[in-house]
Amino acid sequence: MFLTMKVAFRNISRQKKRSFLLAGAIAFGMLVITLINALTGGVVGNIRDNFSHALGGHVFIMGREWTDAGQMIMKIRPDGRLDRLLEENAAQIEGFTRRSQAMPSLIFGSKQTMHLLYGVDFEEEDKLLGSLAVTEGSLNEVLTQDDVIILPQPVAERLGVLVGETLLIRLETLTGQQNVGEVKVAALIEDQEQLGLSASYISRSYLNALLGMDPHEYQLLNMFVTDLDGVEIFARTFREALRNPDEQEEVEAEAEPEVSVTVGGMPIDPLPQQEEVTRWEGTRYQVMNINQIMEAVELVVGVLNRVGLVIFLILLVVTMVGITNTFRMMMIERTKEIGTMRAFGMHQKQVKHIFLWEAVFLGLLGCLAGLVLSAVVTLVVGSIRFNAAPSMQFFLDDGRISFALSLPETILNTALVVFTSLIAAYWPARAAAKLSPMKALSSHT
Amino acid sequence: MAIVELENVKKVYTLGKAEVHALRGVTFAIDKGDFASIVGPSGSGKSTILNLIGCIDQPTEGVVRIDGTITEGLKDKGLTTLRHETLGFIFQSFNLIPVLNVYENIEFPLLLGKNRPSKKEIKEWIEFLVEAVGLADHMHHKSNELSGGQRQRVAIARALATKPEIVLADEPTANLDSKTGQSIIELMKKMNAELNTTFIFSTHDRTIMEIADHVIQLLDGLVVEDSKTGAKAGNLL
Ligand SMILES: Nc1ncnc2c1ncn2[C@@H]1O[C@H](COP(=O)(O)OP(=O)(O)O)[C@@H](O)[C@H]1O
Ligand SMILES: [Mg+2]
Repeated sequence: MFLTMKVAFRNISRQKKRSFLLAGAIAFGMLVITLINALTGGVVGNIRDNFSHALGGHVFIMGREWTDAGQMIMKIRPDGRLDRLLEENAAQIEGFTRRSQAMPSLIFGSKQTMHLLYGVDFEEEDKLLGSLAVTEGSLNEVLTQDDVIILPQPVAERLGVLVGETLLIRLETLTGQQNVGEVKVAALIEDQEQLGLSASYISRSYLNALLGMDPHEYQLLNMFVTDLDGVEIFARTFREALRNPDEQEEVEAEAEPEVSVTVGGMPIDPLPQQEEVTRWEGTRYQVMNINQIMEAVELVVGVLNRVGLVIFLILLVVTMVGITNTFRMMMIERTKEIGTMRAFGMHQKQVKHIFLWEAVFLGLLGCLAGLVLSAVVTLVVGSIRFNAAPSMQFFLDDGRISFALSLPETILNTALVVFTSLIAAYWPARAAAKLSPMKALSSHT
Repeated sequence: MAIVELENVKKVYTLGKAEVHALRGVTFAIDKGDFASIVGPSGSGKSTILNLIGCIDQPTEGVVRIDGTITEGLKDKGLTTLRHETLGFIFQSFNLIPVLNVYENIEFPLLLGKNRPSKKEIKEWIEFLVEAVGLADHMHHKSNELSGGQRQRVAIARALATKPEIVLADEPTANLDSKTGQSIIELMKKMNAELNTTFIFSTHDRTIMEIADHVIQLLDGLVVEDSKTGAKAGNLL
């Protein structure tokens, strides 16, 4: 085994130009498929990142309950179970927010506009204030006063409102009554509309009061996890821990496919269409994760990857023909050598193995070269910053194309290369093994 | 004790419709430890005989017995194993494996078998052989860095690597000048004496056959003289 491998390995460098051409052809195929895989992988990653920024988390928990009047409302009450879960899993949570939200009309004079409004506990979310890019005014007031609002610059421009002026908020309470509040504009911030993220911020207790909730209640618990790979398990932990005894497994099953996203609006449709009519006591939780939202994106990406695979396979088949021909030539060139090895007691199988190992090494060499080339290409292309249209930014990472290659895909592609090389080399290898030692030795090559 | 026996061996090659009677009933025996030479003009059947003894070809008729084993009926696997265990080969055009260096070429037959000696034993033995054929300084050279005579020395060491009973050499000096050829035969003789390995070599060079202690003379596929039995063509016919 080791001997045949050694001879095979040395044989690769025997006809350098020929090996170079074959490995080069394989490398090209590998380059193509790797770039496609890496590009789609990177796009998925960027979309996921941008989504989770826009949605404010990787895992989303909503609470639903029935009012006495028979209306279902979205609300999470202070809950010991939740607090405990957050504490127990603190190591896996990068950060979380407990927010209320509404889509009120903002009214200033004769102008009004609808805009997403988050009710935030500013003390709890100390990082939020730091992340907002203030263009006018100051954020200090929000910590001391309840009835002040932070507006995105474009919204303020639409309304014609200035810092320090007062505007009206009109919304429906959770139970559907009209309600109005009066708030002062504390600061204007840069809009992040290109990320689909444009919202105003106000203190949660104030928004809660308008919505008809207690100060410590909220509607959405969003969490960023430390390890995105474990997000599904993480979400399941929460889902299972929060399920009420009377709740059936089907709630989860129903929740999963029914995700509808409105970036910039309500993050996730709070009331799935097919709502069961039977009422329940207390709060029922719905736990969702970013991957469920990403499913549609990954479907498209999957198709792209499959197209890449087809191209790759076509390239491999072309290469196969080259390998078969080359190996047949090699067999003829090495006839006498094969005869010599056979005379000394090399079995047919071992002769075959030399050729097959050679095919394996050639395939691996090609793959390696292809991967190195891909790395170079991705590094070069990845360092260029594109001034793409805002809608394209969603696929980019800070204007750059990102590449992410998954190890299983690389292994699969390499296995495909090695497999096809083996098939291509099989017949010449067999023919070489079947050579009669006598005839091989009397050959003149 | 005979280590190689041929009994009324015939070999017919068919070339399309034509039949070539390469051997037409050859009988002889070679004893263990012999330094035997098969002599005859070109086309007399020397290579054919060595191929049959070397188990890389089978007779059309008759019996070939190698170290007690009759080759008839053996499949490729059996023949290959027999070759590996009992035979070593030296070729006219050296046939070294170009991708292996001197040491590796000599080691090569040893690594083919199943029950091979330990690494240390192999190393000591190969180093002994390299020394014995006078190539200690060239251990790590590739064959294309060696002269013809040096290559044939490597080939001799390689043929002895598995400590075979028999080493076959088909015109080992044909591609060498006469002085180098002479030294190669002398080296073979030296190894024959030192290791008691049976050597059978073919040649059409009269001066070289004189060093042999057993000479079998061929003509047109028949033994015309066997120095051991004293048989002459006339007696056979
Ligand atoms: N593979 C073969 N096919 C046909 N004829 C062959 C073959 N090998 C040898 N011969 C013929 O058999 C005869 C003996 O050949 P060979 O044993 O090679 O003689 P030598 O080695 O003494 O020159 C020659 O006539 C040769 O042409
Ligand atoms: Mg000959």
